[in-house]
Amino acid sequence: MIWEVFRQAKTGEYHTHCGNVHAPDREMAKQFAAIQHGRRKPTNSLWVVPRHEIGEIDAEDVSFGGTTDKSYRWATAYNTTGSDAREVVESEDEQATAEKQQGDD
Amino acid sequence: MATPDFSDPEELSARERQALECLIKRLADDEFVLAERYTEWQVRAPTLESDLALANNAQDELGHARLWYDVLGDLGYTERELVYEREPAEFRHSTLVELPFEEGDWADAVLRSYLYDVAEELRLEALEDSSSPTIANRVAKIQQEEGYHREHAQNWLERLAEGESGSGEGHERLQAVLDRLFPHALTIFESCAPPRGANDANDASGDEPRAAGSDVEADIVDFGLRTATLEELGEEWLAIVVPYLESLGLDVPESGQTGDGEFEFEVTQEMLPPERGRDGTHTDAWVDLYDDFTHTYRELGRSEPTKIMDTPE
Amino acid sequence: MMDLNTVKERAGPREFSPADDLPREYREAATRMIEFHANSEIMGAYLERPFIRQSPSIDRKLAFSAKVQDEIGHGQLLYRAAESLGVKTREEMLDDLANGDGKFLNCFHYPLKSWVEVPMISFFVDGAAMRRQATLRRTSWEPYAHAMDKVCFEEGFHVKHGEDILKELMTGSRKEQQMTQDAFEEWWPRIIQFFGPTDDKSTHHDFAAAVGLKQQSNDDLRNAFLDQYIPKARKYGLEIPDEPRIRERDDGTYAVEEDDLDWDEFFTIAKNEYEPGLGQINGRKQAQEAVDWVRETIEADAPTAGGHEPQAAD
Repeated sequence: MIWEVFRQAKTGEYHTHCGNVHAPDREMAKQFAAIQHGRRKPTNSLWVVPRHEIGEIDAEDVSFGGTTDKSYRWATAYNTTGSDAREVVESEDEQATAEKQQGDD
Repeated sequence: MATPDFSDPEELSARERQALECLIKRLADDEFVLAERYTEWQVRAPTLESDLALANNAQDELGHARLWYDVLGDLGYTERELVYEREPAEFRHSTLVELPFEEGDWADAVLRSYLYDVAEELRLEALEDSSSPTIANRVAKIQQEEGYHREHAQNWLERLAEGESGSGEGHERLQAVLDRLFPHALTIFESCAPPRGANDANDASGDEPRAAGSDVEADIVDFGLRTATLEELGEEWLAIVVPYLESLGLDVPESGQTGDGEFEFEVTQEMLPPERGRDGTHTDAWVDLYDDFTHTYRELGRSEPTKIMDTPE
Repeated sequence: MMDLNTVKERAGPREFSPADDLPREYREAATRMIEFHANSEIMGAYLERPFIRQSPSIDRKLAFSAKVQDEIGHGQLLYRAAESLGVKTREEMLDDLANGDGKFLNCFHYPLKSWVEVPMISFFVDGAAMRRQATLRRTSWEPYAHAMDKVCFEEGFHVKHGEDILKELMTGSRKEQQMTQDAFEEWWPRIIQFFGPTDDKSTHHDFAAAVGLKQQSNDDLRNAFLDQYIPKARKYGLEIPDEPRIRERDDGTYAVEEDDLDWDEFFTIAKNEYEPGLGQINGRKQAQEAVDWVRETIEADAPTAGGHEPQAAD
C-alpha cells in the first residue's frame, strides 16, 4: 500500500507534499516516513495519507479560474485615489503575482 | 445563396443585421437572466462548498452574457440600451431562465441548470463555424466553462435522484420540478420575434408582441450564422435529455419520442406554456426581476452602467 | 495536557496546532473568537447579497457576486479552523447562528437599504476587518493563521472594489454625493464601534492576548484604522461627522470620545437582541432550514471515508 507524505518544516508552516512510502498500515507508514522523509530536511511534523484516498482534478478536467475575463475579481482592476493601507497594498501585490502566474500558463 | 460576410458590421444589410441581432439577443438574454436567478442561491445554497460552486456558474454565465452583448456593440448598441434601459418586453430569453426559485428548491436549481446546459452545449456547437468571425471566436472560451456546469448539474441530479434509498424526497422533488420546467425548457427552441416595430415602420404602438418570425430564423441558418436549425437543435436536445432523465427514474412529460426510438421533435401548442419568452411574452416574475435589477440604476438616475473591465477582444 | 502557564509561555505566532493537547480554556476561547469571525463572514455576505442583483451594471454585478462568493469561502476556511479545535462542529456553529445563539459583528446587524450604503460595508467595514485580519496572521492557533493567509490574499480586492464604488458615488451627481454623505453619517459611529469598546471594558481581551490568539488591542486597531481611513474619506469629499468627537493627538494618532457612541445599542446587538438585526438572523435561518433536505439526502448516502478516527489537519 502506498502512502503520500506531507512535511511541515517548522511550527506554523504548511504541510507540503514531499514524497511517499510503501507500508502495510498507518502506523508503519508513519514510522517509515519519519526516516525516509524526515531524517535530513528540517521537520516538525509529517502527515501520511493513503494514496488511494486522494482524488485528483487537473487542468484537463476543468479550466481553473475560468477562460473568460475575470479581472473583476482582482484588486488590480480598480484605480483608486490616495495611498492605501499597508495590508491592502500587500494583498494587491500578492494578487498581482498570482494573476501574472495564472496568465503565464 | 452565398454566405454573407459578417466580418464588417458596417456592411450588413437590414436583414443580415436583424438575423445577427435576433440570434445574439437570445443567447445573451438567456445567460444574463439565468445568472440573475443563480445568484439567488448565493448565501442560501445547501452547504458552503455548493454555494461557492453555484456562484462560480452564475459568474460564468454573466461573463458569457457580457461577451454576447458586446457582439451587438459592433452594431452600435451599448449596455445601457441592451440591459439597463431596454423594455422588459423586448427581452428574448426563454421563460425557463426567468422563473423564480421556490425557497429551498435545490432540485430546481440543478435540473434547470442541466436542461439549460445541454441546450447551451448544442447551441454553441452550432456556432463553432459561424459566418460571423466574432461569434466563432468567442465560442471556444465559453465552451470550456460550460463543461463544468453540465458535470456539476449531473453530479447533483444523480445524488438527489438516488435519494430513494433514504426518504425519497430528492426523487419526488425532481419529478415535480421536471413537470413544471419541461414546457418552459421547450421554449428554448421557439422562434424569436423581431424587436418592436421592426416589421412595420408605421407601427409605433407596439402594444402587442410581434409575431414570431419564421423568416428571421431561416435567415440565421441561411446566412450561416448558426449551422443548425432550431428544430435540429431541439431534436438533439431531446435525444440527450430524455434517456438521461429516464435513467434517473424520472418520467419525462411530452417527451416527443416516436415509436422507433428516434426522436421526432414536434412542439405542439399544447406542450408550450402560455408565455414563450422568445416572442416577448413573459411571466409576471420577469417584470419583478427586471424592476429589481434595474432598481439602483433608476434610483440614482444613472445614464451609464459602470465599466470595470476592458472591452472584450 | 499542556497546562495554561505553558500555553502562555509558548504563545507565539502559529505556535499551536491540532497535534497539541491544549487545555479547555484555550480551545474554548479560540473557538469563540474564530466562530465569531466565521459567523461575521456569513452574515456580512447575507447582508450584501441583494446588491448583487441591484448592482448598476454587469461588471459591478460580476464583482459583487465574486465578493459575496469570497465571503462564503472565508466562512468555509474559518469554520474549519474553528472546528479543528475539537469543541464544536461546523454544523453546530451554523445551527447556533440560525437559532440566534451565534454572535457576529455589530455592523452586520443593521439592515442595508440602498446602494449608497454599500461602500460603508465594502470599503470602511472591510477595511477595518482587513486591518484586524492582517494582525491575525500571527495568531497562536496555526489553522486560524493559515486561514488568514488566504483571507488576506483575497480581501484586497474587496476593499478596492468598495473604494471604487465610493469613488464613483462621490464623483457622481450631487444627489448621489448627498445620499452617500447621509449614509456615511449614519454608518460612521457603527464603523468606529467595529473595534469594540476600549480594552479595559472588553471582557475577553486579556485572556485572548495572553495566549497569543489576539495580536493587537482594540484601541491600537481602531487607531490604525482611523489613521488610514479618515484621510481616505476626506479625499473622496466625505465630511467626518462631529460626533463621535475625535481628537488628533500631537503624535498624529486619534482618540475617540467613547461616551459619544451608543454603547447600549452596541451591547443589545452583542446579545443578538437588536430588533432590525433579528430579521437578518431569522431570514438566514429560514434559508438554511429550507435546504435541510438536501444535506440529509447527500449525507444519508455518504460513505464514511477511511474508517479511522479523523486526524488533525489544516
